[in-house]
Amino acid sequence: MTTLSPDIQPTRAARGQSRWQTLVTQLVGLIVILGAWWLVTDVLKLYPPYVFPGPKAVWTEISYGLWGTGPQDGKLLSAIGGSLRRVLTGYVIAVLLGVVVGLLMGAWRPLRTTLGAYLTGIQSVPSIAFVPFAILFLGLNERAVLFVVILEGFIPVALAVSGALLNVPPALRVAGRTLGAGSLGLMLRVLLPASVPSILTGLRTAWSFSWRALVGGELLIAGAASLGEQLEIGRNTANVALVLATIIIIGVIGGLFDSLLRAAEGRVRRDYGLEVPQ
Amino acid sequence: MTRLIRPTLLTLTLLTTAAAQDAQTVRLGFFPNLTHAPALVGLERGTFQKALGKVKLDAREFVSGTTLTEAFAAGQIDIAYVGPGPAINAAGRGMPVQFLAGASEAGAVLVVRKDSGIKSYRDLGGKIVAVPSLGNTQDISLRHILNENGLKPRADGGTVTITPIAPADVLAAFAAKRVDATLVPEPWGAALEAQGHKVIGSEKTVWRDGKYPTTVVIVNAKFAQANPQIVAAFLKAHTEAVAFINRSPAAAQTAVNNQLLKATGTKLDPRVLQRAFARTRFTTNLDLAALTEYAKLNVEAGYARSAPDLAPFIRK
Repeated sequence: MTTLSPDIQPTRAARGQSRWQTLVTQLVGLIVILGAWWLVTDVLKLYPPYVFPGPKAVWTEISYGLWGTGPQDGKLLSAIGGSLRRVLTGYVIAVLLGVVVGLLMGAWRPLRTTLGAYLTGIQSVPSIAFVPFAILFLGLNERAVLFVVILEGFIPVALAVSGALLNVPPALRVAGRTLGAGSLGLMLRVLLPASVPSILTGLRTAWSFSWRALVGGELLIAGAASLGEQLEIGRNTANVALVLATIIIIGVIGGLFDSLLRAAEGRVRRDYGLEVPQ
Repeated sequence: MTRLIRPTLLTLTLLTTAAAQDAQTVRLGFFPNLTHAPALVGLERGTFQKALGKVKLDAREFVSGTTLTEAFAAGQIDIAYVGPGPAINAAGRGMPVQFLAGASEAGAVLVVRKDSGIKSYRDLGGKIVAVPSLGNTQDISLRHILNENGLKPRADGGTVTITPIAPADVLAAFAAKRVDATLVPEPWGAALEAQGHKVIGSEKTVWRDGKYPTTVVIVNAKFAQANPQIVAAFLKAHTEAVAFINRSPAAAQTAVNNQLLKATGTKLDPRVLQRAFARTRFTTNLDLAALTEYAKLNVEAGYARSAPDLAPFIRK
């Protein structure tokens, strides 16, 4: 782990300034993108609106879909609710399952060399490829979506946990043993806490895998309010603005959760002394 | 920026110049359903090609109005047989679409699985109902039926799960008990019925006493403007095909079955086809009042925020 030596560490003020700079740069970038989009669609009119709508049309879909009050409005909001409920359920199960499987793999070498290798293989299969199987196996319902979300989410957690256990410094094991910890005690009170930073990295990967798997699954298994269904409806009713609005919402939610997890990860890494606290 | 724009503009200019000349090919979109019989019969009997003369007919098969509308939007289809649902959506989004003629009326039924316990529309609560695709003509009809019977789709906080399944796959979905009911265009309703499933909504009780369009013929407005003779020739062939179906139903059924065999790899029992035919009316008439009501149902179903005035979209 590389840490900055104190003399080249940025000061608190400098860090605050660079944070502002980042924010301003990002804001300017957003304005440039919106401007280019507006220029292409509304000013130069390079594409007809039913092929590539302008930012205003997409904003209309977002505003009606999120806070519109008409009888058919607010569908994006309920879609977000449905999708979040689904992904969080799947994610929590995936994390619990991943921790258990990861611990077992970390503790028992034969399991690590077999299951561990297979999981890496399964991870390389795009989640959408599992959807037809999930539908046939579990039916055209939410369980099929959950199946895909859990499958995609638990693998990175399991791999991160088992990998983290192997990377715990041997000195900690010895110290734990010396202080009288049994196998279970060593696992739960020494190895697992020591692995938390790596596990958090796994949790973050698991989130983005789960979120992507969710939208892919929902696209094929319609029925309940979901972002996948909004994409499908947008496509079916020639409403490209709704398709783009849904894509933006999927990206924003995915990004928000990722930065939350990233913040948690950074905090834990600082608490563990992996990054020098400011 | 200019380096990017100039070639794009150049391409656009070339494309519009090409379209201004008389087209050498007509790209026709249709589905392998009985409600598209004028297309199937016209293809099987060579009616279109004869009327078009030297202009080549390029017939492309689609499974739902969705993919067809996408192809239409991308400018890959000139003339299409399609349900009023996708056609109205296309018009409402400003696509260059014109309604050319009617093709079929009624011809969609609500079938329930024999062991589903559903006896009436009201029993659909808590069940899974298949439609050809979300936002298509049958989906809009189904949502209207639910609304009239005090039911709501699950996505809108109700109990009915509406799931999109291609009509040809609905037989397998029924066999696997993956769905409880379906609103499908013929001949899939009659085919399900032949396997012992029950029709609880006939073509007449589904909507408007059966006086509603199920398939219409649309044309790309730009293509129509550039090629009025081709469109007129196609319309003549379409009228001939419809007249032939009404004059010789038996021969028309054979023609339809031959085209279904080519499209889906299976032939239907002639008795099934006969029953499906009896539930469908073939006409070139365009019922503007019914189309306008459809546009309103489309709003009711939540697929559009306002119903477009369709009169300007009808080709004179």
